[in-house]
Amino acid sequence: MIDVALASLIEDMIEKAGPDGVVEFWQRVGDNLASRMGKEAYLGWTSFNVAVRESRTAFSIEGEVTPLTDMAITDVDGDVVGYLYAMRQCCYNPTIFRTRFAVGRMSAADRTVTDEYNENIHNIAVCNFCVFHERFREEIAKNIAVSGNALACFLLATRGWSGETKISSKNVAQVNINEEHVRALLRNYECVYALVMRGARIKGER
Amino acid sequence: MSDARIPESNPFVEIATHLFLEDIATKVGVSGLNNYLVSLAKNLAGSMPKEEYGTWSQFLSALSTGQSILSTFEEVRPVTEHCMSTARSPFERGWREYAKRVGAFAPVHREVARYYNHKVRPAAVTSVHVVLHTFRDAAAARVRVGSDGVRYEPIASAWVDGEVQMPEEGKLEALLKRAGITRTRLGMLLRNHADVWLLESA
Repeated sequence: MIDVALASLIEDMIEKAGPDGVVEFWQRVGDNLASRMGKEAYLGWTSFNVAVRESRTAFSIEGEVTPLTDMAITDVDGDVVGYLYAMRQCCYNPTIFRTRFAVGRMSAADRTVTDEYNENIHNIAVCNFCVFHERFREEIAKNIAVSGNALACFLLATRGWSGETKISSKNVAQVNINEEHVRALLRNYECVYALVMRGARIKGER
Repeated sequence: MSDARIPESNPFVEIATHLFLEDIATKVGVSGLNNYLVSLAKNLAGSMPKEEYGTWSQFLSALSTGQSILSTFEEVRPVTEHCMSTARSPFERGWREYAKRVGAFAPVHREVARYYNHKVRPAAVTSVHVVLHTFRDAAAARVRVGSDGVRYEPIASAWVDGEVQMPEEGKLEALLKRAGITRTRLGMLLRNHADVWLLESA
């Protein structure tokens, strides 16, 4: 029930700190949670992807994550430096439906925070939880090493409960993935992101 | 949850909310966090539709089939006409996931419960009980049975780790009498249930 109550808390926070204050708050919470998750190291992408499938990584706290091993990201030498990962269901979706059945409709505070983030930080959020979520993933990626290299996370695409989709042109270009491929993934997944080795010189990076 | 339409929450959202509350506590302290928790639980109950029932037995039926505001987030099993039990805490999954993925609960969750026990009523083991008791209290006030309102009182709360919180002896005896159960029955209920509470006409 605390997930449904969260919307009331955010309404209250908007009154006290404004939508920009709530965005800052959520991002700080993302930092704090990531810092408490500890470091991880894997011999290579195979062992990391198996760990993701078996829900053993810090990313698994979000729920079921699918490594899209047919969508590798390569560097200028043709070596694999990353993969795409996707979640069939957004973490916040059950809360939205629970709110629908318990309260009646989602608080307007959810949209206010989402819009604030999209207009001023990164136009990728479909709900207020994306604000926390994107920062959390970026921070935990720094604490995970694959073949001795720390990771970087790029949120590529999201699909909200109402069917609204967002694709980050900036991040899609950064990892050199075709936007149409990402759009196709949104038919089956609600959240798509890339994990790449930090500092890798990605082939065709735009 | 008896109503299959309501999906389970993703525990990650609960973990994030706990962290959100911890962050608030660093700014407003334990008493400030208590105020936030009370306020969010009241707002939640206030945003849910009011209810009316013709008789107490209709109300009990709605409670046990998950149709009442008081059984939206938890499965309520009436023990007597006025004594209710909750098989599992609605916060248990979130707590287990927090313990598994993040580590021990931050001390502020127990600190705010102690503050609530001292200032409001001795019914909380951890911060989520502040939300739970305040919500049930405010939700009960939105129900009418016949021409009467409904009043909520916690009798005992057993947390996931086995810690039990209940009022001092004198007050407990009076509550048990109003609930229509004995001290032995309470012990039996606490073995298998998260909470035991009282609902009566106001």
